[in-house]
Amino acid sequence: MTTVSLKQKLISIVGEQYVSDGLAEKYVYSFDMTENPPKRPAMVVMPESVQQLQQIVRIANKDRVPLVPFVTGQNIGGLTIPQVDDAVTVDLKRMNKIVEVDDEAMYAVVEPGVTFGHLRKYLDEHNPSLTYTYPLAPPYTSVLANALLQGLCDLSTMRGAMGDFINGLEAILPTGEIVRAGSAIMGDGNWFGRYPLPDLVGLFSGWQGMSGFVTKIAVQLWPKKQFTRHAALFTFGEVPTTELLKRIARAQLIDDADCMSLSIVKMLLGVSPPVQVYGGEPDYGTLLTLSGNIEKEADAKYELIETFVEDARKNESRQLLVDWDAISRMLGDQAKSWVDFPSDAFKVLTEYDGLTWVGTYIHPKHWGEALSGGRKIVEKYGFELMAYLKPMNSMHFGEFKFIIRFPKDDATVEKVRHCNEELLDFALSLKALPYKTPVWAAKKLQQNADPGFVELLKRIRKTLDPNGIMNPGRWGL
Amino acid sequence: MSPYESVIADWLHRCNRCGTCKYIFRDYGPSCPSGEQYRFESYFASGRISIARALTTGEIDWQESLLKPTFACTECGACQIQCMAPHREHIVEMIEELRSLVVDKLGPLPPHRAIAESISRKHNPYEATHHNREIVQQLNLPDKADTVLFLGCTSNYKETSVRDATLSVLKKAGINFTVVDEYCCGSPLLRTGQRAFARQAAEHNLEAFEKAGAERVITSCAGCYRTLSKDYKKLGFDLDIDLLHSVQLVNELLTEKKLKVTQQGSIGRVTYHDPCHLGRHMGVYEEPRQMLGVLPVEFVEMHPNEKNAWCCGAGGGVKSSFPELAQATAAIRLGHARAVNADILVSACPFCKRNLSDANQGQVAKVLDIVELVDLAT
Repeated sequence: MTTVSLKQKLISIVGEQYVSDGLAEKYVYSFDMTENPPKRPAMVVMPESVQQLQQIVRIANKDRVPLVPFVTGQNIGGLTIPQVDDAVTVDLKRMNKIVEVDDEAMYAVVEPGVTFGHLRKYLDEHNPSLTYTYPLAPPYTSVLANALLQGLCDLSTMRGAMGDFINGLEAILPTGEIVRAGSAIMGDGNWFGRYPLPDLVGLFSGWQGMSGFVTKIAVQLWPKKQFTRHAALFTFGEVPTTELLKRIARAQLIDDADCMSLSIVKMLLGVSPPVQVYGGEPDYGTLLTLSGNIEKEADAKYELIETFVEDARKNESRQLLVDWDAISRMLGDQAKSWVDFPSDAFKVLTEYDGLTWVGTYIHPKHWGEALSGGRKIVEKYGFELMAYLKPMNSMHFGEFKFIIRFPKDDATVEKVRHCNEELLDFALSLKALPYKTPVWAAKKLQQNADPGFVELLKRIRKTLDPNGIMNPGRWGL
Repeated sequence: MSPYESVIADWLHRCNRCGTCKYIFRDYGPSCPSGEQYRFESYFASGRISIARALTTGEIDWQESLLKPTFACTECGACQIQCMAPHREHIVEMIEELRSLVVDKLGPLPPHRAIAESISRKHNPYEATHHNREIVQQLNLPDKADTVLFLGCTSNYKETSVRDATLSVLKKAGINFTVVDEYCCGSPLLRTGQRAFARQAAEHNLEAFEKAGAERVITSCAGCYRTLSKDYKKLGFDLDIDLLHSVQLVNELLTEKKLKVTQQGSIGRVTYHDPCHLGRHMGVYEEPRQMLGVLPVEFVEMHPNEKNAWCCGAGGGVKSSFPELAQATAAIRLGHARAVNADILVSACPFCKRNLSDANQGQVAKVLDIVELVDLAT
C-alpha cells in the first residue's frame, strides 16, 4: 500500500488531526533517551477508542503494515523505536480513561494512556483508602505499559514486579479480534484476578507489544497503611550490603528498599555532575519504607531492623541505620521527594539528554557478585557510579541496574554502548535476566537461553500474528 | 552580529523527554495548551527542544511540515515551571530561537509576516492608524513627565476600554504622566521569530522615553511589560528606567489610599486569570490579588492559578496563526472560571481579555481587565 493511501485510511478512522507523516513527528518518535539507534516511523496515528484502534489493526493486518505501540516512550529500553521500515507508530495517549476502580476487590481498570500521576490523583479523590504503586520514573509514565513490561516499583520488595499485579486485560490481537484474559472473561465489574484459568495474561505480559495491543488492564491496588516509617541505611561493600538487605527483606519487615550508590544520594542533595564518591564515604544508601496498621507495628518492625543492622556491624562496623527525622534535617524538601511517589526524585536522572541502564533480575546468590563486578565495569569506563538495587518479592530474587546519564554526542553514545554490552555480558554470565530489554540485549539473552524457549516464542508469535505486523524486529524476532 | 547567544547550543544535550513538562507537578492536571490540543509528542516543549536540536545538528532538514509544531505554541512558559532539568529556565528562549532559525530558513508564517509588515508601516500589528499623539492632545497631557504610560497596541487599538480605564485611573490618582509617540514594543516580532525588526522598535521607544524625561514607565499590557523589562535588555539596551505593570502601581495607590474605592455594594463574584507574561514570565502574582482584596468584589481563586495558571491561548503568535488552538485554550480557561461560579473573569493583559472575550460563550457574564474593575470601583 502506498503511504498516501494508508494515511487516508487512517485519517478516515481517527480524523486528520490525529495522523501525521510530518518530519517533526517522524523525527520525535524515532528515538528515546537511550543509546539505542533511532529509526523513523512512516507516520504516527493517535486513536481515541478501542474501536478506532481495532480498525487500525485490521487495516494493518490486511495490508501488512508494521505497527509500533507508544504511550509516553520513557521505558529506557528503546522499546518504542521502530525496528523495520515503513512502520506506523500508534500513540495511545488519547486512550486515557480510568474505566473502573473496585474498592472491595481492590483493583483499577485503566486504558494505556493513564499515567501513575493521574491514577494517584483519581485514587486520592475517589478511593482515598487505596493506593497503587509507583516506579522510579517521572509521574507521567503509563501504568499499563509499566505493568506489561514487568518493571519494579515501590512495593516490589514486598510483592514483586509490576507484572505480578495484573489481574487481567483486554487486548486486540494482531488479526483484529478483541479478547480478554483473567476473571473479566465473565463480564465487566469482575476483574478480581487471573486464576484459576489458563494464564493468558502471559501472552501479553513481557512481550513488548509483539502480540497485540493491550487496551485495558486491571491492576491490583493496596490498602493504605495508617502508619508509614522511613529510614536510611548507609552501608559499605557490595556483599555486606546485599547480605544485610537479604536478611531484612526475607523477614518481610519492609514494604520497599531502594538501594543506590552514594553518588545518587549526593545527586538528590544537589551535588553537580560529575558526582564523585570519596574514600571513607559509604558505598550505598538505602531508603527503607515500612508500615503498620498501628504505630506500634511499624515501630516494632523498625526495632527488628535495628537488631539486624547491629548484627551486621559485627562484620562491618561502619554500617549505619539512620532514622528519617535525621535524613529530613539533612535533605530538607528532598527527603519528601524521595518518599512521596510518584516523585520528583527522577530529576536527578534528567541531567542530560541521554539516560540508559542495564537492569536485570537475578538469583539472590549472585546479587552481591553482580553488584561488585558491575561496579568495576562502570568505573573502568569512567561513568558516574549509579548502581540501583532492590530486593524483590520478599527476596525471592534481586534486582540491580547500573544507570548512566550522558550527553548524546557520538563519542559518548559509543562508549555507553560498549559499557552496557559489557555489563550485560557479565550479568548474563551470572544467569541474570535483563528487563525492559532492548533489541540488542534480547539477542544476547537468546544466545544464552534455552533454545526451546526461543522457538516457543517464535511459534506463539507466528500463531497470534501470522502477518508479523506487531512491532516486528522487537526482541530480534 | 546577533545580540542573541544561542541557548539551543548551550543546552543541546539536556532534555531527555522525561515528560515532566506536560503536567502540573503533584496536581497532574495538564500544563501545556499546545500539547493538549494536538497531542503528538512534537507539540510539547520536549518535542520542540528535540526539533531544535535536530536542526542544529543537521539530523533533519528544513521542511515546511516543521512550521506547525514550531509555531503552534503560546510560549506560555508553563513547561518551564514544571520542568526539573537543568535547562528549565531556558525552554521558552529555546523555542524563540528555534522560531528565529525557522524564519531565517523558511520565512515567517503568513499571518506573522503581515503583523511584521503592519508594525513596519504603522507601528502596530493591527493595521490601525498610528495615533498616540492625539491622546496627548485630547487629555492635555504634558510633553514631559516623570511617568510615561506605555499604552501598548492591543489596548490602544483593540481593547480601548483597557486604555481608557488606565488613563482614567492615573488621572484620578493625580499621577503626573504623559504618553509618548510609542511604537509596538516588538513583542509580536520576538515571539514569532522575527527578531530583526524588534531592535528598531526598541530603539525608537527608548528614545521616546528619554525625550519625555521618563523615570518610570507604566503599562497595562503584560506582553509589553515583559518585553520592555526583559527583552530590551537581551537586545543589549541598558534601561535606566523603572518599569512597572499597572497592577504594581495601582495596588500601591489603593494601599496608600491615593485611589479611593467609592463603589457601594459588590460588583460581583470575580476570579483572576494570571497572564503568562505577567505571572510566569515576570513573577507578578500578589499585587492583583491584593487589589481584588480591596475592591468591592467577591474574589474567588480558580484552578490552576498563579505559576500553574492555564494560558489564555492568545500569545506567541497563536491567535493570528492557529485560531483553533487559541479558541480551545481560552475555552478551557473559561471553564475554570465557570467551575468556581465566577460572574466576572478579570485579567491584567488586554490580549488575554481579547482572547477570553472572543471565546466566551456564556461561561462568564463578563471578561474585564483588572484596571477596568478599579476604574469602576473608584
